This record gives sequence, structure tokens and C-alpha cells, in this order.
Amino acid sequence: MNKKVSRRDLLKGIGFGIGAAALAACTPAAPAATSAPQPTSAPAAGGSDAAITYWGFNGTLGKTEDDMVTMYHAAQSAVKVDRQVQGSYEETAQKLTAALAAKTAPDLALLSDVWWFKFYRAKVLMPLNDLAAGAGIDGSDFVPSLWSEGVRKGAQYWIPFARSTPLFYYNVDMFQAAGLPDRGPKTWAEFDEWAPKLLKKDGATIKTAAFAHTGAASYNAWIFQGVIWQFGGEYSTPDFKIELLAPDSIRSAQFYQDTVDKFGWAVTAKDAQKDFITGLTAATILSTGGLTGILKDAAFKVGTAFLPEEKQFGCPTGGAGLSILTGTSTEKAQAAAKFIAYATGKEGGAFWSQNTGYMPVRKSTANSDSYIKYFQTYPQTKTAVDQLPKTRPQDAARVFIPGGDQIIGKGLERIITGKENVATVWKDVTAQLDKEAEPVKKDLIALGA
Amino acid sequence: MQLTKHDFSASIAGRIRRDWREWLIFLAFAGPNVALFAIFTYAPMVNNLILSFNDWNMISSDKAWVGLQNYIDVFTDSQFSRIFLNTIVFTAASVTLVLALGLGGGLLLNQKLRGRNAARSILFSPHILSGAAIAIVWIYIFDPRFGLIYAVLHPLGIQSPNWLTDPNWSMPAIVIVYVWKYLGYATVIYIAGLQAIPGDLYEAARVDGAGAWMRFRHVTLPGLSPVMFFLVLTSILSSFQSFDIINIMTKGGPINSTNTLIYHLYELGFINFSIGRAGVIGMILFVLMFVVTLLQLRYLDRQVNYA
Amino acid sequence: MNALMERDAQLIAQPAPAPSIRAEAALSKILGYSAVIVAVLIIGIPVFWLVTGALKTNREIFNASPQWLPSHLMLDNFANAWNGAPFGRYYINSFITTILGAACEITMAVTTAYALVFVRFPKRDWVFVLLLLALMVPEEVVIVPNYLTIANWRLVNTYAGIVLPGASIAFGTFLLRQYFRTLPPDLIDASRVDGAGHVRAMISIVAPVAAPAVATAGLLSVVAKWNDYLWPLIVTTTSDMRTLPIGISWLLDQEGNTEWGVVMAATLFVVVPVILVFLYAQRFLVSGIAAGAVKG
Repeated sequence: MNKKVSRRDLLKGIGFGIGAAALAACTPAAPAATSAPQPTSAPAAGGSDAAITYWGFNGTLGKTEDDMVTMYHAAQSAVKVDRQVQGSYEETAQKLTAALAAKTAPDLALLSDVWWFKFYRAKVLMPLNDLAAGAGIDGSDFVPSLWSEGVRKGAQYWIPFARSTPLFYYNVDMFQAAGLPDRGPKTWAEFDEWAPKLLKKDGATIKTAAFAHTGAASYNAWIFQGVIWQFGGEYSTPDFKIELLAPDSIRSAQFYQDTVDKFGWAVTAKDAQKDFITGLTAATILSTGGLTGILKDAAFKVGTAFLPEEKQFGCPTGGAGLSILTGTSTEKAQAAAKFIAYATGKEGGAFWSQNTGYMPVRKSTANSDSYIKYFQTYPQTKTAVDQLPKTRPQDAARVFIPGGDQIIGKGLERIITGKENVATVWKDVTAQLDKEAEPVKKDLIALGA
Repeated sequence: MQLTKHDFSASIAGRIRRDWREWLIFLAFAGPNVALFAIFTYAPMVNNLILSFNDWNMISSDKAWVGLQNYIDVFTDSQFSRIFLNTIVFTAASVTLVLALGLGGGLLLNQKLRGRNAARSILFSPHILSGAAIAIVWIYIFDPRFGLIYAVLHPLGIQSPNWLTDPNWSMPAIVIVYVWKYLGYATVIYIAGLQAIPGDLYEAARVDGAGAWMRFRHVTLPGLSPVMFFLVLTSILSSFQSFDIINIMTKGGPINSTNTLIYHLYELGFINFSIGRAGVIGMILFVLMFVVTLLQLRYLDRQVNYA
Repeated sequence: MNALMERDAQLIAQPAPAPSIRAEAALSKILGYSAVIVAVLIIGIPVFWLVTGALKTNREIFNASPQWLPSHLMLDNFANAWNGAPFGRYYINSFITTILGAACEITMAVTTAYALVFVRFPKRDWVFVLLLLALMVPEEVVIVPNYLTIANWRLVNTYAGIVLPGASIAFGTFLLRQYFRTLPPDLIDASRVDGAGHVRAMISIVAPVAAPAVATAGLLSVVAKWNDYLWPLIVTTTSDMRTLPIGISWLLDQEGNTEWGVVMAATLFVVVPVILVFLYAQRFLVSGIAAGAVKG
């Protein structure tokens, strides 16, 4: 046993060395929001008041998050954040489930828009109002549509952190070649006029589509949330009355089907982001979270625009936020709230969103000097931030009904790919959503909502 | 349950006194393996059976006994028959192809050919590749406008199907990836089996004037039958539970065309948090596999012994 | 490797006994080589594309008209992959857990299969069916209960916690049982005469004779442990206990902004050691010993 421990300690040292080297390698790419982060030399034994465990992002986003935590440690010494990675959103939720049962849950966790509510229903999330106020987090400084999404019965359970919205992306080179203006379409009707000029066909095979739809595996129900609002419809009311059979809701899905079937200028892509980067489609709607990667990988000039309107404008919010779990001690919960304040604020929050493509969730962050500079370098990101105040939290049917996202998404696939009758499909989907909503309604009554 | 009638090892052991020492040896040899399974496999499965009669979201402390309600819910779900059928189609297609092509590969690479080690390594390598990398390669290959398959079909004047976005083609696409990934595995097992066939049998058959087909039919196939039995059974069991490829390539879509029982179990349990209904799917899968195994044991294991 | 190839070459060069057989052999050689080439191409092209992807930029990988070779070698991908996650540490963890896990598995596969075939026990076929049952339990069903067990035993985030739930083996036991049953009965009988016990019979007679099967089972164990992703991810919490496949997931991105060249470079980190093991195991997949042991 002794031998194992000492070897582990030794390797921990090596691991840290590599981590520090990696950090040193990536800092030059960071914008000038702060001076280059210094790795904290003081380990856990240092003068920190509270050490919290945080389950955050994996992948390249995780690396940016690591850098932010390092900056946080350099900026203060009261709170020490032990950031751990438990995989993707789904894997993190899976592990959190097991960890809650085994009482090994973390203090703070990153939960996506469809996940946090499940944990809220299971009564394992802490109300954050007092904690947030104690840490100097002012709710009114947040973008209202983002802040209100995590509120239940007047209490805040989920604070926006890595938030995104759908955004209209277009290939400027292709738009120019087709003689179109360098802007997004104001309305879907306008895009319908433009589309034939963008479409390139080789016989019956579409070589370049005017528009690419995403599939259910890539959260098409999130993208379509905006479209159904634009047409004046909605998935559901806040109290789970499914509205898919309302005339406007049907009209919106019929339009989606027509783009592929009747108008023939759109395709369903396996990976719409890839299709856009490779020039297989002239335009698409994707998350703002993909913007950084698209700008890097695209060999053409990328344009971004507000989502097109129909009857009105409509755009949902998405992404992930932070929640504190009920097993956490008061002291640690306070420390976690301080970290949340930093991670959404002018320093940490600006660093985070500028390096990932997520939205600045606080108005003061979006108005900071570093952001003004950032918008000059990447004007495309300004569109996303400008669009943000016009967004709304998503309908209950997609985010609060278990599996709601996939139920709606698979229905959309039947409509677009399967070319089925819209009303028939929406009737099936409504029945399914109604059934799955039952336990949620029961839980909410039990919770007194 | 008498599985074997002509177990030749019984004749060996028959000469030895049936004493308790033999039993102790058995326990010492097989006991730890079974004990670990009891803790980490059988116990969770029993737990799963109990959960299938409960309504629970896995986190909250209140668990409600609902009797057969979960079973009713699962069986009356409009998508269930499709998911069940998908599972059967996927398993039948992928197992048949892996076993048939794997046999070809095994026979081929068991010959004394130059460079066969390299060839074996290449055939086996997809088995080691991680899921994410496989997805990116195959999504590219299947691209109907620019993918590799398009590049092959286009000059022949054939239009490439929309493999991954057309519900009629997504299942074949998944089967192709599965066969690609597991072919090398079957090949390696077949090679091990072929090595067990004594070379003198072939000599004898040759002397008797048996042609290639006769030698294959009367020497190779019977000699391979124990290993073939292993392969048939384990391939069926593992393809019933094949989750990775579906999860990374299609997530059961489009329109549930590649949704199988194992993926549905994951959806219900870990996406919808409906542990009771996931438990039902777990039981259905288990019973299905159990029946298949019993049938195989009845018919195939017996043949093995006559060989 | 070389010795084997030489042997192959000799065998190929051996004069065949009769003209008709020689013709048949030549024909089967030609057919054999062409079939091997076709198989290698079909299976190998996606692999080739993946390997060369490690040398390309995202732009080249996503190029609509496929580029077979990278325009210039992106060796940076390897450096970025290596720095993208603590791969050095992950290698060590993967080696430790794979060796421990595969050693447990292969030991138990040999002992259990031996017991099932050569040791007398009432209803031992029931024990066999019991082992088969384990193959019918989906991983998704056992993951959460096993996490609770391991947490109860205070083994979360330890090597023991990673290895224990997967230490038992049904696949390998089954494979070896099938193989052992084809062995000639007199193989064991002879050893019984001079009073050698089961342990000796197993180690010195059965295992060597069954070398191709044992090596195959061992190889598959090593591959399974080396590639295991979900359980090690769930049962470990800190980066210093993680294994290689988790390292790859470090390079993916929730929002799809993934550098695929880097991911493919990292995939090679994971694949290359197993290919080396495979090449080494090849020599055991050929039974030279078995024939000799039975005859002698």
C-alpha cells in the first residue's frame, strides 16, 4: 500500500508538471482580459477558507475552464476550487445520480438546460437566492431570459453560466456569388426567394443546399423551438398544455417540411456544422457555442445574423448553468457562490465566454472594456450578443418533460425526413408528451408549485 | 439440466473416486469467478427485476410499487414493436455477416501466406478503435454527396443513398459499421479454432481422395464446431447489447429506425430517468437472450459433442 | 516475427507431393492472396483514413473532395494531443489496470474452464449456464448498483475499484471450455497415473496445449480492459486515476468544435500499444506445441 501511495504522489507531481506546461502553452492565445494566469503554487494546504469540488466541462471547453479556475486561484485565496471532469453532460448526470445515492456528490455541478430540472424534481438542488446575494451576485445584472429560466417558485436553483442561443450562419462568399446582400434574411419569405440562387444541383443530387436542418441526434427540437415561435406557435404553455396542434404550430412544421420537399432547397444533414464548414450548405442555424470552431475551420468568410422572422421574432436560450447540491455545507455553499460570481463576472466570465463562444450572461460583462475590444476583433460574435436580449426561455415541453427533447425531435424527423402528415405526427407527439408530463405534474404538485 | 451426454472427460473422472477433494478443487477453481459475478452481475440484475415493478427516478427517496404498470407502459408504447423488430433485424444481420465473413477471413489467414501477420493486424485493428474516431470516419464515408461510398457508386451511375439520414438506410449503415468493427474479432477466434484441428486429419482426407470442399465439409467444419458454437452464442449476446455504435452514429434515429432494446433501455433509464421502465426493458432483453441461449445449447452444443 | 516469416517462407517453398495437389495449392494461393488483398482494402481503407487524419488539419479532414494524403504533415496534432490531457499519467493507469484486470480474467478463465471440463462436480453444467447468464446482463443495468457497492467498500477512485467489478470472466471461460473439450482424453489421463494433481495438470499440460486459445482469450481480455471507458470514468473522480480512453474524450467538445486531427492522433496513442500486443500474441496463435504434446 505504502509503495502505491508514494508512486501515486510522484505521478501526481508529473501530472501537474504537464498540466502547467499545457497551460503555459495555451495562455498566449487568451485575449488580454487579464494578465497571463499564474499556476497557484500553494496546494490544498494553503490558506484557503473553503475547498469546493466542482464537476465541470470535459474536452476543450474543460481546458478553458481549467484556465479560468487557475486565474481564480491567482486572484484570491479564500476559495479553492477542485474542478473535476466526469465526461459529457449525459455522463455527468449519470454519475451524479450514482454519486447522490452513494453520498459522494460534489458541491457544485454543471447541468445542461434539460438536466437541471430533473435534479430539481428530485429535490437535490439548493435554493440560491441568499447565497447569490451573499456573494454579490445581482440577479438584475443578468440577461433576464437567462436568469429567469432557473427560477422555480421565486427561488433560483440554476445560475446561467455556459449559455448559448441558436444563430443564423451564412457563407458570405456564396451569398456574394449569388448576388445576395451580405446579411441574413429578415424573414423566411425572403430566404425562400434567395434560396434558389444558392442551390446547386447535379441532376437530382443536391451538391450545395441553401439550408441544412439538424437531426434529432443534434437537438433539432432546440433549433425548431425558435422557428415555431416565429410562426406564432409554441410547444407548450408553462403548465404543460401541449400546443403542437394549434394552427400556427402546424404551419411552422409544414414550412419545415416544405423546405425539403416542396421548395427543395434544404436538406437534413447528419452534421450541419460540418456541412456548413465544408460548403455543402450556404446557410444553417446552429448554436452560438460552435462559433469559435466555425470561424477557425471555415475556409470562407462566415456571416452571422439574427434568426429569420415570420409572424414575429423567436429565439430560445440553451446551454448549461451551475447548481449547488443539497448535501453541501453552508460554508462550502457560500464558497461555491463566490466562484459562481467570478465565473460569470467581468474577469472570469469574460475570459470564459470570449474563449468558448458562449454568451456573456451578465450585462456588465458584455459591456466591459475587454468585450468592446473583443467585438472589434470578432464582429460575428456581436450579432449573437445583440440577439440575446430578444431571446426567451424554452417551452416546458422540451426542457421539463423527461425525454421531451427527443420526443419532439423524432416527431420533426418524421415530418421532415419521413414526409409524414404534420397533423398526424403532432397528434402522436402530443399524446406522448401528455403521458410523460404526468409524473412531472405530480412532482410539481408535491413540491407545491 | 443435462446438457451433455457424451462428455469424454466424464470417463476420465469416472475412474477417480468421487471424493470431496474433487469438489473442493472445483470450488477453488471456479468459485472466485462465480462469486465475483454474484456480487457485481447477478445481484444488480435481481435488483433490476425489483425496480421493474417500481416507479422511481433513481435519485429521490420515494420509490413507489406500481405492480405491472411499467410492463403495461412499455408494451403499449407505439414504438415498442418497431424497437423490438429493429433489435432482431440488427442482431440477425450483423451476426450472420460477422460469422460468415469471419470464417472466410479465418480460413484465409490461417493459410501460410506471406504477410498474413500484417493482414491479421489490419483486420483486427477496427476492433481496438475508439467510438468517437469510428463515428467521424464513417460519417464521412457515408456522406451521400462526397463520401467514399459515393466515390465508388457515382462512376457506376448509382446514386448513393442518404445512409444516416434516411430511415430505410440507417439500419444497413449501422450493420456495416458493426461488421467492419467485429470481423477481425471473429477471424482471430476462428484461427484459434482452426489451430486445434490436427493436421493429420487433412492428410488422411487427402489420402482418401477428398477434394477441397469435402475436406472443408468433413474435417474443417466439424473440427471448428466447438469454437463456432462459442462464436455464434457470444456474437448474438453481444450484438443484442451493442450500444456504442448506435449511440455515436445515430442515437437510435432517424425516426427510431436504429433504436434497439439496449439503446431504448439507455434512453428510458438515463435520459428519461424512468428506472422502472428501463428495468422492464432490461428484463425483456435478458429473457430474450436466455431463450436464445437455451435453444443454442439444446441444438448446437449437442452437435459439438458428436464431432 | 522474423522467425515466423522464415518458417512461412519455408513452408511455402516446400515441394508438394503430387502435381494435382501442387496445382490445387497454387490455385488456392492465388485465390488466397487476392482475397486477402480485397479484405485488407475493405477493412483497411477506413483505418488508413483515420491514421492519416492524425496528420491533417480540420479543414483537410472536412474537405468535400477527399484528400488521401495530407498536404503537409501536421505533426503538431501529436503534440497537441499529448498536451491536451495528462496522457503520460493515463498510460501508466491504463497499463496497471489492464495488466491487473486481464491477469485476473485470464487466470480465472483457465481455472474455471479447467474445472468445468476436467474436475468432477455435481451439476457442473449448471455452473456453466450460470456463467453464461452473466453474458446476458447489460452494462447499463449494473453500473449504478456497482458504483454503490464500490463506494460502500471505499474503493472509489482506486485501482481496485476500477478492476474488481470486471475481474470475473465469462467470455474467456466459455472459449477455453469449448477448446478444452476438443483435447484428447488421454492427455490428462497420463498425468493422473503419475499422481500429478489438477493444478499441475492444468499448468503444465492443458494450458500449453491450448496455447492458441489461451492467447486468444488473453488478447481479447487485454483489448477489452484497455478500451474500457464508461466504468473507469464513473468510478474515478480525479484526473490522476483516469485511463487512456477517457483522455480521448478530453479532446472532444460538447459544442462540436473538435480538432479531429488531434483526436485521431490521440486515438493512435491508444491503438498502437494494442497492435504491438497483437503482433506479439500472434506467435501463440499458431500451435506448434499442441501437436507435439499430443503426439509425444
